[in-house]
Amino acid sequence: MNPETERTWIINGEKMSVTFPPGRRLLDVLREDLKLTGTKEGCGEGECGACTVIVDGELIVSCLLAAGQVPDGAEIMTVEGLEKTEGGRLLQASYVEKGAAQCGFCIPGMIMSSYHLLSRGEPLSQPIIREAHAGNICRCTGYEKIMEAVSAAAEHWPKSEAKS
Amino acid sequence: MSVSLRCVEASDLLLPGSLPEALAMMAEPEPPTPLAGGTDLMVQCEAGARKPPARLLSLKQLPELKGIDEADDTIRIGAGATHWQIRNHADVKVGLPGLVEAVSMVGGRQIQTMGTIGGSLANGSPAGDIAPYLLIADAVVEVASIEGTRQIPIRNFLIDYRKIDLKPNELIVAVTCKVLPEGAKEGWRKLGPRAAQAISKIMGNYRGKIVDGVIESFAVSLGSVAPTAIRLPEVEAFLVGKPLSEETIAEAERLASASVKPISDIRSTAEYRKWVAGRLVRGFLTSFTKGNEGSEGSEGCES
Repeated sequence: MNPETERTWIINGEKMSVTFPPGRRLLDVLREDLKLTGTKEGCGEGECGACTVIVDGELIVSCLLAAGQVPDGAEIMTVEGLEKTEGGRLLQASYVEKGAAQCGFCIPGMIMSSYHLLSRGEPLSQPIIREAHAGNICRCTGYEKIMEAVSAAAEHWPKSEAKS
Repeated sequence: MSVSLRCVEASDLLLPGSLPEALAMMAEPEPPTPLAGGTDLMVQCEAGARKPPARLLSLKQLPELKGIDEADDTIRIGAGATHWQIRNHADVKVGLPGLVEAVSMVGGRQIQTMGTIGGSLANGSPAGDIAPYLLIADAVVEVASIEGTRQIPIRNFLIDYRKIDLKPNELIVAVTCKVLPEGAKEGWRKLGPRAAQAISKIMGNYRGKIVDGVIESFAVSLGSVAPTAIRLPEVEAFLVGKPLSEETIAEAERLASASVKPISDIRSTAEYRKWVAGRLVRGFLTSFTKGNEGSEGSEGCES
């Protein structure tokens, strides 16, 4: 059996320390150990994107990442962190406004892809917006309303939240 | 409450700080299993298709595996370079445009961010998205152990179904590709049930040069039609020196279909794959007659 690993991460802007077996999936550390249950598990095989989070600026699926591979000091953003940012709140409102969520299970991952795309501050086009969500599967909406929500949020995206 | 162990939760995880340290760990009597982006290994362990290894060796944090460097007519890509990193690299965009196309259709954004070129090769799948390109770019795989490094041409590196020329104490450290020669063109096409997040039914790559309507050189490779990605030597030998005419294209299409021996599996049938192998070759050749619009990309199709 493996020894426990301790990590201190900045999760949604807050410093948190947690101890876990290093092979434990980041998804399980977030949901089970830290009780951040906004992040969902869909397929567990990296196909559906429901468990998408941002680690040190990179969009990843937390079901395929051994938490021990995430170094001390890493900055993690989950769906719970969205409402702490202006862009996140804008996206949430836009998703609601456009009726982008139906059953809602894919949305915590989907909206992380939206946030990651828009916060990069790069030029956008419909193909770029679509491709940025290609790793997130939704079985209800047919995606159109999600794309509308992202496009609408992009128009009002706060300049302060565009980073490289 | 006890929770059952998921995926590789019971595995120990080694986190070497440098390549020499990693190679020393690989030299132990029972070497650990290398773990790069996890986009194959973690899936296989979670799905029960693979027994979780007792010890994993994380490659993610090794600085030596991350670089992409151009030299003369080659580009050396560190095994730890991610698909996303490759896709956005200025030298790769110019020198290996077909590779950019291929990595752009791996999974979705998350998988491209996590998966690495070395990991794709180490997985050894006949449906892997990268190996067919490496075949047409005459790539050389660099592997290392504490005993030293070996340079292995990709066609020798891919031995058989999920069998590669890599010893238990070795790590893949880099892949060096020949850049697209002056005046040549290359491209790629993948057919799957949908554009993103799909494993291919069949895919192919080509690199060729046509001067004044005559085929000067033509390399073509296919994935998902044999135990490993393959080149089509009969088709290539036939094409060199021929005029780019409908007659030539039709014969190349026939030869391509005749020369592959695919199997039927959950993703497609042997008959369909044989037919599409010919159609891919036709499409690649036809792209030269339509000007320089690049490859035709990826598309979903009815299964």
